Amino acid sequence: MAHKWGMAVDLDLCTGCGACVTACHAENNIPTVGPEQAARGRAMHWLRVERYWEGDFPDVRLKFRPVMCQQCDAAPCEPVCPTYASHHTAEGLNAQVYNRCIGTRYCANACPYNVRFFDFFNPQWPKPLHLQLNPDVSVREVGVMEKCTFCVQRINAASIDAKAEKRELKDGDIKPACVQSCSARAMAFGDLNDPESEVSRLSRSPRGGTLLEDLGTLPKVTYLERQTQV
Amino acid sequence: MSAVYALYADPESAQRAVNGLQAAGLSHAEIVVMSGEPFEEQPFAQQDKATWLWYIACAGGLIGMIFSTWLTRMTELAWPLQTGNMPIVAWWPNLIVIFELTMLGAILATVITLFITAKLPRRTPAFYDPEVTNGKILVGVENPSAASVPALERALMAGGAAELKRR
Amino acid sequence: MSAASSNKLTADLLRPLLETSWRFYALVVFLAGIVLMGLGTWAYQMFNGFGVTGINNPIFWAFYITNFVFWIGISHAGTLISAILRLVNAGWRRPVTRCAEVITAFALMIGALFPIIHLGRPWLFFWLMPYPSSRLIWPNFRSPLVWDFFAITTYLTGSVLFLVLPMIPDFALVRDHTTGLRGRIYGALALGWQGTPKQWHRLESAMSIMAIAIIPVAVSVHTIVSFDFSMAPVPMWHSTMFGPYFVAGAIFSGIAGLIIAMAALRKFLHIEAYLHPVHFQNLGKLLLMMSLLWGYFVFAERLTIWYGNGSAEIAVLRVTQKGSFAPLYWTMVVVNFVIPVSILSIRKLRTITGCVIASCGVLVGMWLERFLIVVPSLGHKYLPYSWGVYRPRPVEIMITISTFAAMALLYVLFSKFVPIISIWEMKVGEQETHETALQRTSRVLGELHP
Repeated sequence: MAHKWGMAVDLDLCTGCGACVTACHAENNIPTVGPEQAARGRAMHWLRVERYWEGDFPDVRLKFRPVMCQQCDAAPCEPVCPTYASHHTAEGLNAQVYNRCIGTRYCANACPYNVRFFDFFNPQWPKPLHLQLNPDVSVREVGVMEKCTFCVQRINAASIDAKAEKRELKDGDIKPACVQSCSARAMAFGDLNDPESEVSRLSRSPRGGTLLEDLGTLPKVTYLERQTQV
Repeated sequence: MSAVYALYADPESAQRAVNGLQAAGLSHAEIVVMSGEPFEEQPFAQQDKATWLWYIACAGGLIGMIFSTWLTRMTELAWPLQTGNMPIVAWWPNLIVIFELTMLGAILATVITLFITAKLPRRTPAFYDPEVTNGKILVGVENPSAASVPALERALMAGGAAELKRR
Repeated sequence: MSAASSNKLTADLLRPLLETSWRFYALVVFLAGIVLMGLGTWAYQMFNGFGVTGINNPIFWAFYITNFVFWIGISHAGTLISAILRLVNAGWRRPVTRCAEVITAFALMIGALFPIIHLGRPWLFFWLMPYPSSRLIWPNFRSPLVWDFFAITTYLTGSVLFLVLPMIPDFALVRDHTTGLRGRIYGALALGWQGTPKQWHRLESAMSIMAIAIIPVAVSVHTIVSFDFSMAPVPMWHSTMFGPYFVAGAIFSGIAGLIIAMAALRKFLHIEAYLHPVHFQNLGKLLLMMSLLWGYFVFAERLTIWYGNGSAEIAVLRVTQKGSFAPLYWTMVVVNFVIPVSILSIRKLRTITGCVIASCGVLVGMWLERFLIVVPSLGHKYLPYSWGVYRPRPVEIMITISTFAAMALLYVLFSKFVPIISIWEMKVGEQETHETALQRTSRVLGELHP
């Protein structure tokens, strides 16, 4: 049976440290845009950690929520792309094909999670920072859209290794950069079509829910948090 | 000479001239009328009115519809890429493209037919007089036989012509 | 009609082509300068990257899409006047019909540029066209932007043909009144037109068919432009009403543009004898009707949203009516509804000047309306953490201004080379009344001074 990649994030474990954000930048050659562009709202964090304050002083609580591309099964960003740069793969991922993208930015408008980012300028890596670039991931030029891919390069690498070794992929073989770097082990990645995988179990948890569920996008990231009586 | 014609200041005189020419034995197809504006009420303007243009426009639209239906469905099936929750052959969106290309087919069929039936553009210099666009109506005969010219000239002058000319 | 009045008609309407003053050259140089600055700005944007605009995350569409919708909207002027009035046989359309169709053709061309200007990689815009590509690039027919491509192509083709076909007899007329190189160019453009009854019949049949065909195309074009918004799950975009709302708004702004163009032509080309106050009065009545219709749509949409109390939509509603966009919103309401309705419903105020004032207000208001549809919604989507603010930058402002200059320039050049009032259609109109010129003049003068 084909894989269906999904993730689970445990908000009760997340400390908001931001290691996942940094790892994502490193793994995926995401440029830092600089303070001026960031102030203009152009920071490109494929994975962002949202911070919420709840309650009044002195009973203040802090909540963190890491948000990345939800790889929706009914993604609103896909039908609106005029060149099929945004489409759904057989393994359930929302593919972003940089070479097809002409930069209409319709997908970013259609995305209710605001997880799509546009290259406003050609990214710069002044030497010797160019040495940190990951050779498995392309560097995007100005004018294209980009977003979290669930580290598709790692998925592909593991799939190729498994095929070469003539074995099936096991749960835990693939760890996207964010999952790998989370110090609180709050994130999990795996095959939702495998009922025994950690992600499948977590997605069935009574603490689990999805973001903006009522919009009908069928996101594949489950957020787990303690449910309180309303 | 290649033509004999006269210019008239108003449609009624032009009609009299056409009647005179018909009385002299000429058929509709042999009488040439030209004007700077269309005159719908006069009988001389009623010739050549029947047109297949409406049917051709509909046919053009039908061709556009068939082509666009085939194009959308065939290409969506040839490169099946899953987008959103939509089917590979998505009929609601396809209908929009089909509608637009249908209308484009009708429009293009109309214009092409117009050009062909009105014989535009003309390369060879046509029999014409610039006075036509000064409000005069031209009635005449192209390539008349030498013997019939005096009779034609009488018929043309009987209508109260402003000027008689030969070319 | 008598030969004398026919000759006067021809002479008056040919005068702009045959006589040129220094003012024409000055105007062309001025407008062309602004257009060149706009093109240079666009080149600067392409060279330096799209980041020179004010676009950010989450407001990925702003000025350029506003302009796109605005100009496509203006283009509905021609369809209404030429096609609809032709079909209902309204005689008063005759002097106005070519002015309107010219607006349509040029507004469409300018509007169609904006989807290219707003692309991140505009040199690849041709990927929207379905052509056999060895790279297997093919457009996605499910995308409203691809629908835009087909709709605008069809409408542009239809409008340009609808404009150019009745120009052929007029080119023949100009050919006969000019000599030398000019005469030969117009002769080539006239395509050898003679004016036989057969040619007239075919032309008029073709025009009738095109008038019938172009109306559903025009409706579909702006509906499809509205689908760019209503197909996305964005608060206050995902509305079932956008199709009719946008079409009504388009016709509204189109009539306003037409009134302004006609007033300018009347003054600068001295064709007061052909564009009478009654034409402006009639168009003013249409503008009034469209203003009321626009107000009805806005009210219906906002009432539904306010009553429904969905939290995301209410956030957008509040920011437009009470928040940071409130000054723009209430300006829009005043210039789109309050002022036009006040001026145009009072007969004494429905003069040429009154109509022009109302129309200028409507153009401003309709531009603001497009802006207020695009930007507040994008700035306030479903996740408040990602809300954003937009400020236009000089690049966008310059390109916007230069498109207005481009429209004016194209219009000025057109009226120099082609009779802006369709001469043969005017002659037919005079025929149809079966009155002498004297009787008609008395009648019209009677209308002017009741």
